[in-house]
Amino acid sequence: MTDEKPELLFSDLPVGRSFRPLAFQVTQQLVDEFMDTVGDRNPLYSAAGTSIAPPGFAAIYARLSYLQDHTMPPGGVLAKQEFEFHNSIRVGETMYVTAKVIESRIDEKQRKRVTFFIEAKGQDNVLISEIRLYAIWPK
Amino acid sequence: MLRNAKSGDSLPVIEKDIDQDRINRWAKLSGDFNSLHVDIEFAKASRFGGTIAHGPMSLAFLNELMMECFGKGWVTGGKLLEVRFVAPTRPGDKIQITGTVTSVEKKGNDLVCNCDLFIQKQTGEKTVVGKSVARTSEEN
Repeated sequence: MTDEKPELLFSDLPVGRSFRPLAFQVTQQLVDEFMDTVGDRNPLYSAAGTSIAPPGFAAIYARLSYLQDHTMPPGGVLAKQEFEFHNSIRVGETMYVTAKVIESRIDEKQRKRVTFFIEAKGQDNVLISEIRLYAIWPK
Repeated sequence: MLRNAKSGDSLPVIEKDIDQDRINRWAKLSGDFNSLHVDIEFAKASRFGGTIAHGPMSLAFLNELMMECFGKGWVTGGKLLEVRFVAPTRPGDKIQITGTVTSVEKKGNDLVCNCDLFIQKQTGEKTVVGKSVARTSEEN
């Protein structure tokens, strides 16, 4: 499969840059694949009619939120990550995830440091999670 | 669920076997097909000397532990803080996801439970370290 999306470069990531909202639909199929892959069998994710999305999804939609129109250049390092969970989201609902660059600088060791602030909201604009993702960008 | 937690308590231990199949499935799930994770020959020639697991998969493991400890309360007020990836996880590793309660404070009707979290390999080498803050009730 050829991926024709351009690489997301450090020069594309000035402070204040924001990305178009990612619509992330929480389907039971996605939840089941998550549970199989992670090995997490929490019954809250598969209760008929009341199942909620695993909070571990945040690790997935955070990254996707700034890579919808780009690919990640090889060699980057995820240095640190922080999550605040505010509300659960039910299976079948859609989250809207926005990412914004809040730090973009060259550090004392000449590493390209980028920090994203990522916010996920439900269909009714209820805040689901806030994420801070600290990366060392490759180029 | 964590009941009547107090400072110094150990959290439950979750164990996982990491293999290339699990890494490949995470790549499909997350859309992250970085060669360091899925291309064995490419990764062999890299500074890692072989494929490594995705960092965000470790975050999913930490969330699994927190859900086991705090239930639904984790998704309505839990925080994972200062999570750092200190060593790569590789196929063949057996890892343990666990932690320790560092303090418990009463706030209104709730208890706020602070924990140190970590993931370690069978050798004792830590791969991920971090902290969590979660609200729980004395009844929980």
